[in-house]
Amino acid sequence: MSEATAAGVPPPSPALSRKAAIVGVGETDYHLDYKAARAKPPGYEPPTPEGLAKIAFERAMSDSGLRREDVDGLSVSFLYGGPDAKSLAPMLGLGPRYLIENGGILAGPLQVVCADIAAGKCDTVAMVYAVASRAIGRQYGGSTYTGGERTPTSYYYYHPWGWSSQAAHWALISRYYQTSFGTTEEDLGAVAVQLRRNATANPNAVMQTPLSIEDYLNSRYIVRPLHVFDLCLVNDGAVCLIVRRADKARDLPHTPVLVAGWGESKIVNSKLHYLVRERLRPQLQDAGRQALDMAGLELSDVQHLEGYDASTIHLVDQLEGYGFVEPGAGLDFCKKGDMAVGGKLPVNVGGGMLSGSYMHGWNQVAEITRQLRHEAGPCQIEGVETSMFSLAQTDQAHPVIFTRGG
Amino acid sequence: MAQRRPDRTLGPGHDEFWAWCNKSELRLQRCADCGRLSWPAVSACEFCGSTQLAWERMSGRGKIVSWCTFERDYYQGALPIPWETILVELEEGPLFISNPSGLTWKDIEAGMPVKLSFLDCEDSDGVFRLPIFERA
Repeated sequence: MSEATAAGVPPPSPALSRKAAIVGVGETDYHLDYKAARAKPPGYEPPTPEGLAKIAFERAMSDSGLRREDVDGLSVSFLYGGPDAKSLAPMLGLGPRYLIENGGILAGPLQVVCADIAAGKCDTVAMVYAVASRAIGRQYGGSTYTGGERTPTSYYYYHPWGWSSQAAHWALISRYYQTSFGTTEEDLGAVAVQLRRNATANPNAVMQTPLSIEDYLNSRYIVRPLHVFDLCLVNDGAVCLIVRRADKARDLPHTPVLVAGWGESKIVNSKLHYLVRERLRPQLQDAGRQALDMAGLELSDVQHLEGYDASTIHLVDQLEGYGFVEPGAGLDFCKKGDMAVGGKLPVNVGGGMLSGSYMHGWNQVAEITRQLRHEAGPCQIEGVETSMFSLAQTDQAHPVIFTRGG
Repeated sequence: MAQRRPDRTLGPGHDEFWAWCNKSELRLQRCADCGRLSWPAVSACEFCGSTQLAWERMSGRGKIVSWCTFERDYYQGALPIPWETILVELEEGPLFISNPSGLTWKDIEAGMPVKLSFLDCEDSDGVFRLPIFERA
């Protein structure tokens, strides 16, 4: 399955709002695992998706305070291979009545599980995601993509012109942004610097070394005008979320984190126009409105954004596209410190995927869980009650609104 | 001497596009029902779903909307690095990813007028003519 596709998202409806809550979260040791993968000490064995998944699962179970027999559902999202749900269940010591393999990237699996919980198909689902991108030497450009029904044409169609990679999409947007708003590489670099600063407060972030704007400007280009620090990490890891019926989510060790709303909007034609010149604004506006309506909230209620930072510019697209700031104002917003904890809208406070961990959005929902529990330690946003997670790809947007439960 | 390039996407629709290129014509599909142009090649109009499509010749005039330069060697030695690419808005409307002829990123400005030319190329399916753009 391609990471460029999403599981079918159930239509947003107020009837599905706050019917399910995250009650447990577990992640692997991104920082230590990345160091080991780089250093390859004697006897180093590359991780497997199932090995990583088991670690995250055990941690999430322990965090939730639930027993294995309380878990009656298993959702599996292995992006680049791994056992199917039926084989994984006994490996985790589970015998669930509900089994689903629903994708990889967090652009649908959670919404599907929430709707299925609301429909009474299950009460408590362990949602397991794992990738061994680094271990398998995953490439994100060149001839990796050669077509297929669910892969966007922009991933493979322009090979004869030597144009490929996710990075190339962000590079075209970046250059267009520069020429439209008169910004520079240094302006965009502020986003990478801010996210690295956020990561240094998160002990599990892959990147812990401070990054200065000079470091950014002196770094190598991948696809000009984008530097290496404009693009997300490639690392191995797993995340497990324990999602439970909201009315059964109280009286557990942690404050439940409610799934309050979601939306979905996709580009249906003129992809390069909507991606490069509109920067997905129509899709972000549409999907954001759906998610807020489902949650019964306004954009101004959102106190924290975790946006899909495959690239610095793409995070800016989301910040501006949903309407948190006007088009063209995102980089100034960042430079003023308004994306930092304590700023007007803290963004990707654990370092996101640029400096934290490239878990295709799953690590960002883990961060939201800690934030809304008010257990995020040095990254904590004081008094946060509402967070938005935004999964946005080159052709679609999937925001999810989370609220702190009672 | 034909330049070696990574493989084209071939098949119904795509083959017609490249056959026109081999006659040094850039043609895209216009929908007889809604009148709009689809690109890349489609089996049904990307706007209205109609299958009443006709290959229409483009003027070859356009302007550069954006551009990017590959410093990372994604194609593992198949193309020289740095590798220049441009996003051209054709006079008829569609956005077209291509290569600039005789221009690097230092020379390009937003809105720069360009005109079509063709380059002799070769991939695993054989020789073909690739639409590229030079300064108008």
